[in-house]
Amino acid sequence: MHSHLQNIAIVAYVCAMGLALTHLVQRQVLIHRLATLGTLIGWIAHTLGLVMLALELGRPPLGTLPNAVSVVVWVVVLLEMLVERHSGVTVLGAFVMPVVVVLSLKSSVARPASLAPALSNAWIWIHIALALIGIAAFVLNFAGAIMYLLQDRQIRAKRPGRFYHRLPPLETLDHWTYRALALGFPFLTTGLILGAVWARTAWGSVFAFDPLAFFSVVAWVIYAGTLAGRAAGGWHGRRAAYFAIIGFVALVITLGAGLFLPGRHGA
Amino acid sequence: MALFAAGLSHKNAPLGLREQLAADEDKTREILRDLVAGGVLREAVILSTCNRVEIYGVADVPGEARALAFRQLCRQRGVEASTVEAALYAHTEDDAIRHAFRVAASLDSMLVGEPQILGQVKDAFALAQACEAVGPALHTLFSQAFAVAKRVRTETDIARHAVSVSFAAVELAKQIFAGLSGRAVLLVGAGKMSELAAKHLVEQGAFPIYVVNRTWARAQEMARALAGSPVPFVELGTVLAAVDIVITSTGAPTPIVTLDMVAAAVRGRGARPLFFIDIAVPRDVEPGVEGLGDVYRYDIDDLKSVVDANIRERLREAQRAEALVEREVVKFRSRLGDVEVIPTIVSLRERLEEIRGAELRRALARLPDASPETRAVLEALSSGIVNKILHAPITKLRESSRAGAHRSWLELVNELFGLGRRP
Repeated sequence: MHSHLQNIAIVAYVCAMGLALTHLVQRQVLIHRLATLGTLIGWIAHTLGLVMLALELGRPPLGTLPNAVSVVVWVVVLLEMLVERHSGVTVLGAFVMPVVVVLSLKSSVARPASLAPALSNAWIWIHIALALIGIAAFVLNFAGAIMYLLQDRQIRAKRPGRFYHRLPPLETLDHWTYRALALGFPFLTTGLILGAVWARTAWGSVFAFDPLAFFSVVAWVIYAGTLAGRAAGGWHGRRAAYFAIIGFVALVITLGAGLFLPGRHGA
Repeated sequence: MALFAAGLSHKNAPLGLREQLAADEDKTREILRDLVAGGVLREAVILSTCNRVEIYGVADVPGEARALAFRQLCRQRGVEASTVEAALYAHTEDDAIRHAFRVAASLDSMLVGEPQILGQVKDAFALAQACEAVGPALHTLFSQAFAVAKRVRTETDIARHAVSVSFAAVELAKQIFAGLSGRAVLLVGAGKMSELAAKHLVEQGAFPIYVVNRTWARAQEMARALAGSPVPFVELGTVLAAVDIVITSTGAPTPIVTLDMVAAAVRGRGARPLFFIDIAVPRDVEPGVEGLGDVYRYDIDDLKSVVDANIRERLREAQRAEALVEREVVKFRSRLGDVEVIPTIVSLRERLEEIRGAELRRALARLPDASPETRAVLEALSSGIVNKILHAPITKLRESSRAGAHRSWLELVNELFGLGRRP
């Protein structure tokens, strides 16, 4: 049952993505409404699917990485709907939904992994949950950075392009990416520390090679650098946007490594 | 009875003729009263702006009434009727509805999407209402025209983008800054366009305003006009570091805001963008400053190309608006039919109810001992008969109005039941 709901959710997200991208170039109120509706339907199906899965398993649906990624998607869609509603920026969906679709598809094609025997401690759930909230915030950080670069580009090009007047002001976008980064970073950090502590007690070593752990440390370093640069004052605007994109690529590789390479997190 | 819209506009008549024919409020009032009281038109609205003079009317024979109305208007204004007749356009029925919608939605304007026309149409309608020249048909038409105009404004981007250089500059600033309130503006040099742009920024909440001019007195004067503060010319470099938006328009032969100056100003600014609007020819801001971090520079040509693109966008949006108007015309046609049919239905019902009431009273007078039950039965019987008789003609009238063929039916019903004949 939950897999049917999961499929419905993915189809709805794909439709919503198509509509949101159409809205970006066509700007029709009706298309935007349909995109919002599609997103909402997908999210409701997704919610029900996760609840069914949790009931079936008798524990939070975070035990395998595909499930965990699915929860990330769920959080991202929720945040996207809230931010869009709150800020009135109707084009946000066009930048977030593609990421949502890629992550959903990724989590649905990955081999189902059995629950690692180590996953039986409450700390591990907190480790996973914190890391996931951090990743969800970085999806918004990434979407904001893409929008910033597009907007900067078209203002500098001095020729009104297709998205002219459709994106929020540069300052707002810069502010968003900063806030998403500042929100996501503590979650990711705490999640990683808990993971490392757990690894030490479970396997006796923090640094034993695990692909997911390795790439997430890479991503952490990139985000930490960006945040430090921002806090020091010099980094903002385009440079911060580039780093947001690099950091996100590292995160996607992280999840990809966890889903497709053998290691403690994966199959 | 038919609806028409006739007149002349910037599309078919020269300004001279429009000027001659245009009437002020008092004159319009007079003409409206003459037309309606004189029986030429049943209902009338006169729209008189610098771009168009139009009469919207309802009359039994629209062609004749239109000619009479314009002859009267020409006589009033002392214009030769034949010159006006030649330039006149006339729309009836659906075309008149479409014309009213297009005018109110600013699709027929010289600058498509300009916002003033809707207010002018509203004023014209209010004036006609005050003169009691508006009946049910024009009331429905204009209420709907206002609704259509609103839909066009909200659902298309027809009036969204700036089509003047100074507004385009303000719009650009809004794409860079998250809100303009509290942004510091520096005005270098004087000029109509730059002053206008500065005024728009102030309206959006920009503050404080600094004014730099080689002539100190001129700087003081402009600062006063914009509620800003004058700054000596030599402090240009210093004040650059403190502002967010710079508007330049001096007559200087070489750039007065140099690369070095901007480089110094940008140092230590942090995340605050700096936006140069250079309206001067030759340019006042050295090209290349936009390479310095978060600096953006638009010169007059850049702004003009933005305006051109916006005008093209407006025309594209106008196409969408036309389609919207077309759908509204179709919807409106059936509603207008209802409006014309309803008074007849009401008077038909009143007439039969009148007969029923009189006959019932007579019958009851002859039955003084009737019990309340008997009275109730008689009451129910008579109203049952009336309702059964009315059902078919009312249904027919409503159907015919929806099909747009109600005029002959209305006449027939009025004739058969002797409606509207009695005092």
